Amino acid sequence: MDSEPQRPKPILIAEAVAAGYGGAPVITDVSLQVAAGEVVSVVGPNGSGKSTLLKSLVGVIRVLSGRVALGDRDITNWATEDVARAGVGYVPQVDDVFGPLTVRENLEMGGYLLAPREVAGRVERVVSVFPALGRLLGRRAEKLSGGERKMVAMGRVLMLQPQLFVLDEPTANLAPAIAHTLLHDQIARLASTGAGVLLVEQRARSALEISSWTYVMGGGQCRTHGRSADLSGRADFVESFLGGAPAHA
Amino acid sequence: MSSGTIFYITTLLVYGGVDVVACLGLSLQFGTAGITNFGFIIYQAAGAYVAAVLSLPRDTANGGFQTYVLGLHLAFPLPWIGGAVAGGLLAIPAGLVVRRSLRPDFAGVSMLVTAVILNTVVDNFVPLFNGAAGVALVPSPLGNLFNPQSLKWQWMYSGIALFMCIVVLLVIRLITESPYGRSLRAMREDETAAKAVGKNTDRMRMTVLITGGAVAGLSGAILVGFINLWAPSAWTYPETIVLIAAVIIGGRGNHYGAILGAALVPLGFLEATRFIPAFGPAGLVPALEWIVTGLLILVFLWFRPQGVIPERRHRLARSLPAQAAAAVSGAAELATGPARGQ
Amino acid sequence: MDIVIASVGFGLVTASVLAIASVAFTMQFGITDVLNLSFGGVMIASAFIAYVVNNAGVNIWIGVLVAGVAGAIISYLINRFVLTPFKRRNTSPIGMVIVTLALGLILENLVLAVAGPNNVSYAMNSGPTLAVGAFELTALQIGMIALSLIIAGAIHALLRLTRLGKAMRATSCNAGLARASGIRTERVIASTWLITGALCGISGAAFAMNSGSFGSSSAELFLVVIIASVFVGGVGQPYGAMLGALLLGLVTEVSAAFITPDYKEVIAFIILLGVMALRPQGLIARATV
Ligand SMILES: Nc1ncnc2c1ncn2[C@@H]1O[C@H](COP(=O)(O)OP(=O)(O)OP(=O)(O)O)[C@@H](O)[C@H]1O
Ligand SMILES: [Mg+2]
Repeated sequence: MDSEPQRPKPILIAEAVAAGYGGAPVITDVSLQVAAGEVVSVVGPNGSGKSTLLKSLVGVIRVLSGRVALGDRDITNWATEDVARAGVGYVPQVDDVFGPLTVRENLEMGGYLLAPREVAGRVERVVSVFPALGRLLGRRAEKLSGGERKMVAMGRVLMLQPQLFVLDEPTANLAPAIAHTLLHDQIARLASTGAGVLLVEQRARSALEISSWTYVMGGGQCRTHGRSADLSGRADFVESFLGGAPAHA
Repeated sequence: MSSGTIFYITTLLVYGGVDVVACLGLSLQFGTAGITNFGFIIYQAAGAYVAAVLSLPRDTANGGFQTYVLGLHLAFPLPWIGGAVAGGLLAIPAGLVVRRSLRPDFAGVSMLVTAVILNTVVDNFVPLFNGAAGVALVPSPLGNLFNPQSLKWQWMYSGIALFMCIVVLLVIRLITESPYGRSLRAMREDETAAKAVGKNTDRMRMTVLITGGAVAGLSGAILVGFINLWAPSAWTYPETIVLIAAVIIGGRGNHYGAILGAALVPLGFLEATRFIPAFGPAGLVPALEWIVTGLLILVFLWFRPQGVIPERRHRLARSLPAQAAAAVSGAAELATGPARGQ
Repeated sequence: MDIVIASVGFGLVTASVLAIASVAFTMQFGITDVLNLSFGGVMIASAFIAYVVNNAGVNIWIGVLVAGVAGAIISYLINRFVLTPFKRRNTSPIGMVIVTLALGLILENLVLAVAGPNNVSYAMNSGPTLAVGAFELTALQIGMIALSLIIAGAIHALLRLTRLGKAMRATSCNAGLARASGIRTERVIASTWLITGALCGISGAAFAMNSGSFGSSSAELFLVVIIASVFVGGVGQPYGAMLGALLLGLVTEVSAAFITPDYKEVIAFIILLGVMALRPQGLIARATV
């Protein structure tokens, strides 16, 4: 990308990150930025390294080379709990809830860092964002439907009101209508309150619609990136990812 | 050479042969197939017991001072075959349990618990096993050929023991170097993937437990024919740890590693300490031996987990899980798609 | 009949000792994900340290406290210098079991090397006997039952009411997600080893008090009963472990009165097999820590 278009001042910066699982690096030389109030999406085929990228950013796996910064702080290879304490709410692709605990307990665990008296109020706020959770508070998370479960997972990170959300396929296994609501209402709303959102999404078309910037992963590298609106007009991209003619050429 | 030295050397050869055979069985289970059988020693014990009671006369002989079952007074090699069969049969219940177990560590611990319990039963149940005293006066195989007290018999028996090592090595190599061996390694590396490509891992595990159990039973039969005594105190669970230590130190998944481990740990290390002049109160030297054995396991697992002789690279064994993963996600070629788009 | 009633008393005492040990063992597994087969070794090492103190003229109940401190320190060090480094290397669960097995072997034989092969006994006074018909308990036995009730209450309060307990529950359910919620799981795990190590040491001293005399390998068979009550109750479930301990403590002692004490552990094993066949997840499943 020779002519970098103007972007807002980033809160998350990754520079030339390489990471993997002990063997050869799975992702190499990935750079990205997320600004406050912005939804940034990462798309790419299965196994292209999207989850690996997010895991390396939030300290689940080691960054082998490159740099990750949050605001002015270098958080490269910080422990996951310290990244969380610095204001990053990470929802993993799998194992995203405390299965044997109730929904209320899941939310309370999300608010572990809060002062005890603040917790109840925050739970109410989360329920106001996801009203469906209200009547599920006493249910065990492992007994919920896929969609309900994702709401719990999102609710857990909302408890701390992080400055950056890192969401790995929040709409996986969701019915199209529910996925649409989650992306277009809730996630879009998170950004409108001033938080940054880094979103991995299989539904590339929806991802482009709600994000301002999109990175395309392939074979462990960032193949291309650009303004989402521009990408959805690019024939090569549309052909590979959206499977059809450009949406608005 | 004095006859004392020869006795010592031949005794070492027999003990070494027993340890090598046992370690080869464990190497098949633990090294190749990845089954951690903390109860391995009970298969050796079972083989030894059955070989003993098959070769002993009825327990009313010798004034009936000990009790045991059978007493068929069979001639060599029938008791050994019986011992191997007993070890194999005893593996069937273990195979049934392990198949249901979700986690390998649960399976390993359940086999350990079973071994400890069986030892307690034997210790206390006099009619079948003569209790803690064990069964004595087990006849020496081929004692009619040479006098078992003679050097000739010693040489012959150590020759048979070494011959059995070679036979067992060849049989186990036949298994592990075949396509079946590749499947076993695939199961060890990634059971889910092995299942995904259609391997019946439960049946493979059962086969390996039975084969290893039979090998262990044979090793017990060789031992009991030599020392003429079978006692439960010799089959406690730490004895399994010694064999596991041997396989870890020698090299997992490599039979020559198992042989080297058998020579280094049960034979080399534990024999060498016999030459240290005894010091301290009774039991101190064996206690220190166990401490060093435990430390050796930790040190090797930390600094050289692959052992002295590492496993050779089995190319196919490694690529199998990858194949399976690709088959599952079906995304192998898609991943390169966007590159063309650039 | 009298012998059965009397054996219920023994059963309650054994169940108390077993409960302390099983809760500790199951929490170690549930929270730190290690099936710790060095548990018996730590028990005996702690019991022996209590013996040294007791032998110097200190009251046995203070000896129990000393055993608790010793167990906490040993377990903490084991975690800090052996288990955590191996875990950082992504050692498989079965590899961790081999590591703890080796540690147990080392500990047991350290005791053997220091204490020698002869069994030792605490100097203690059983105190007055409380009798209701054939049901008899000595003051010492009542003390042991009370100790285990206090510990059960304390564990309940820890898990339900404290921040650490909450973090332990989260770590037990899903350690990765606990970290993503800002919980410092390594500290939680270190605290778990301290606390459960203390319980392990206490249970070691209590086990030695209950069995009269003990030697370096005395806990081997008892570990089998501990594992049985942990699995009967549901692995990783402290309340299940308490229930399993009560069941196995009573059944093994009552059966000892009928058959012979030699088969206590075998009875425990048979109950374990029965529960595994009928209810593989254990009596209390999924309630988690
Ligand atoms: N825990 C792991 N250990 C080893 N390799 C892994 C692990 N997780 C993922 N991989 C490998 O890393 C590569 C990238 O996986 P990753 O999960 O990042 O893909 P992804 O883009 O998120 O795919 P998906 O869309 O299916 O979620 C894959 O080849 C995968 O096999
Ligand atoms: Mg992914």
